[in-house]
Amino acid sequence: MKSKVLVLSKVILKNSFQNMETAKDVNSNKKSKSMIILYIFIFLYLAGIVGVFSNSLVSELLKIHQEKMFLGIILLAIAGFVLIQSIFSAINLLYYSKDNEYILPLPLKPSQIVIAKTNVLLVTEYFIVAIIGLIPLTIYGILTYANILYYIEMLIVLLVFPIVPVLISSLLVLIVMSFAKFTKNRNRFQLIATILILVIVFVASFAMGNTDSSPEELVQMVMKANGMVELVKNAFPTLGMAIESLTNINIGIQLLNIMLLIATTAIIYALYVLVGQKLYLKGAVGNLSSGKKNKKKIDEKKAFKNSTIFKTYIGKEFKILLRNPIFFMQCVLPAIIFPILIIGMTILGINEENNGQTIDFASMFINKTSIYIGVGILCVIQFFLMFIYISATAISRDGQNAIFMKYIPVKYIKQIDYKVMPNIIMTSIMSIITVIIAEILIKVDILYLLLILITSIIMGVFQSYILIIVDLKKPKLEWNSEYAVVKQNMNLIWPAVIGLVSITLLIILGIVFGNILNSFIFTGIIAFVYLLVTIITRNYINNNINKLMEKIY
Amino acid sequence: MIKIENVSKSYVKGKKSIDDLNLEIKNGEIFGFLGPNGAGKTTTIKMITGILNPDEGDILIDDKSITKQPLEAKKQFGFVPDSPDMFLKLKGIEYLNFLADIYEVPNDVRKEKIEGLTKKFEIYDDLNSEIQSYSHGMRQKIVICGVLLNNPKNWILDEPMTGLDPKSSHDLKEMMREHCKNGNTVFFSTHVLEVAEKLCDRVGIINKGKLVFVGTFEEMQNKFKENKSLEDLFLEITENEE
Ligand SMILES: Nc1ncnc2c1ncn2[C@@H]1O[C@H](COP(=O)(O)OP(=O)(O)OP(=O)(O)O)[C@@H](O)[C@H]1O
Ligand SMILES: [Mg+2]
Repeated sequence: MKSKVLVLSKVILKNSFQNMETAKDVNSNKKSKSMIILYIFIFLYLAGIVGVFSNSLVSELLKIHQEKMFLGIILLAIAGFVLIQSIFSAINLLYYSKDNEYILPLPLKPSQIVIAKTNVLLVTEYFIVAIIGLIPLTIYGILTYANILYYIEMLIVLLVFPIVPVLISSLLVLIVMSFAKFTKNRNRFQLIATILILVIVFVASFAMGNTDSSPEELVQMVMKANGMVELVKNAFPTLGMAIESLTNINIGIQLLNIMLLIATTAIIYALYVLVGQKLYLKGAVGNLSSGKKNKKKIDEKKAFKNSTIFKTYIGKEFKILLRNPIFFMQCVLPAIIFPILIIGMTILGINEENNGQTIDFASMFINKTSIYIGVGILCVIQFFLMFIYISATAISRDGQNAIFMKYIPVKYIKQIDYKVMPNIIMTSIMSIITVIIAEILIKVDILYLLLILITSIIMGVFQSYILIIVDLKKPKLEWNSEYAVVKQNMNLIWPAVIGLVSITLLIILGIVFGNILNSFIFTGIIAFVYLLVTIITRNYINNNINKLMEKIY
Repeated sequence: MIKIENVSKSYVKGKKSIDDLNLEIKNGEIFGFLGPNGAGKTTTIKMITGILNPDEGDILIDDKSITKQPLEAKKQFGFVPDSPDMFLKLKGIEYLNFLADIYEVPNDVRKEKIEGLTKKFEIYDDLNSEIQSYSHGMRQKIVICGVLLNNPKNWILDEPMTGLDPKSSHDLKEMMREHCKNGNTVFFSTHVLEVAEKLCDRVGIINKGKLVFVGTFEEMQNKFKENKSLEDLFLEITENEE
């Protein structure tokens, strides 16, 4: 039985990752080597940023003897990230993946399928954990002069700790999806289910994070060396054990906690499998991705309208984006939800720490046209841009249909223009939302805000064109679940890279020119530079279009 | 008219999937393209339609080169790919309208065309549903309808009969005949030898990237001086070429 689970996990995993590098490449050997070097470089860059950030945070916390809080923050971040990510992954892997068609008819027990699929979920999450966990915790170890035991326990914690959040999300998915068979429109159901689970998770985490202690107690906690960490310890079930196992001065208690962590996780895992196998096949596995069947005939008066290629092409792109729940959630939703959620949570969080008093952000910035306001808003928008994948998956999303682009009599460059349009529109909407929130919070000078908005929209256009090059160069056209395109896709590291490089540059420029230039001129120059690179990028696409389209066949 | 001139293609360096292919399909001709799995039929069709660039040689569609004047050449043909799973999230009617817009089918004939074709293939009542809810054969049909919307002179079809029920398959064959009678060209690949025998004016047999036979069925029988069935001849031709 064990080996069957193992084989199945391996097959699913291999299947979903097979296209991480394209087997299609003609001279793949040479190319993949340079690709690997590139990815190592990118990884180092990301690691560097995480490292610098961790380094300064730990140093600051050490000064006020609250360094344990750092572990709390990082582990909580891992739990949160994994929790949210695996909601999406679990729905897709358990219910919508095409391999279900092959796996379900095999003589396997439901428990075996559930275990195998959960294993795959876990392995996928370890990639994130490696980036946001391994480096910060290592830096913490170095800065606090930890001994070898710390590093061993760190590895164990990083391996064991993410399991529970995966199980929680996956279980929520199993429970909610077991109602799926009662619905007619399953695409919409999946969407509602996902949003519902997200809300459950957010509400639950807020409820848990709310410490019902009086202000005096809070002050005491914060005053005590490493008392602050008590604030977050209960925010996640196994968080306390993880922190204690890493930091308790008593080695015995450390070991006890790590054992406790492993035991708790094992028990939760066993319970999960027990419940999961019952729920899994009850949910409507297998036939979920059926299309919408409409009994009504077409309206003969309206059905045969013609329109321009421009409109019809962009319309088609949007229809596929909006009707496919996975694409919708991963590509469209972040543009709207992220600004609202993240900015909203920050405000809530800050207000909570201030005992419910609302902070008057507006008064913090006396100068309503400060360069730093502009740089700040642009950085925030650039940060949100990192999560909009419409352009970065524009070709891959079409999968086998991508060849369509090549045999219709429409110029390639025009089709590229149409394909980036949804990205431009969604990033613009996101910019507008962010700018409006900024206006409400800090009441920026309206003309200045308008200039910032225009700059950010140009930023979005640039992002749209540069990311479609990424997708053209390495499209992922043979996938067996939409999920492979929006998640298990190495190309999606590029939005992050471009975003982080932009943010770094913006901050440096802001610091350098902050006191020299007028903020209008400064922002104007930024806008102009983005415009220039956008034009260069599109020209590059136009000049190399035949070569760029070669990967589509 | 489709003219393939000295075309070669390799996916992997040193291994030619298509080796120096020469072929001319004249106007008014139905041409059947036969060959075992992996012989290179789809690869050839992908090159004719501009999806793949040939490594060597050129392909002319109504005298327009697909490599040098791609847009003009692409206006001359309609293409049915081997997988009928096109844009599954679009409704049938949206898909057809989309194609009609791309190929600039005028408004006044559009309605008549769509209605005529879809009623003939009996998918008119499903036009308001997403293509994802269609059966394999229905998907095949909507793709064929899409291609026929703008009346292209050259039809290029990769295994168009797979999944079609007897009536639809019969209708499609009738339409192919009709199309050729009007001086147009049909080029299609198939594994069904009876279809090729009854329908095609000429057939080409490709094996491991090399064209091993072109001509009529009678010519094939004459060449081998045997009165065998097409199936036996096909097996013999593709086996001898080791
Ligand atoms: N994307 C690809 N990458 C590498 N090799 C390929 C690719 N597509 C096809 N080939 C190879 O090219 C050769 C021809 O394949 P092709 O798809 O043209 O065959 P076919 O005649 O259409 O077969 P079938 O009857 O199965 O459809 C095969 O040897 C195949 O392995
Ligand atoms: Mg084929």
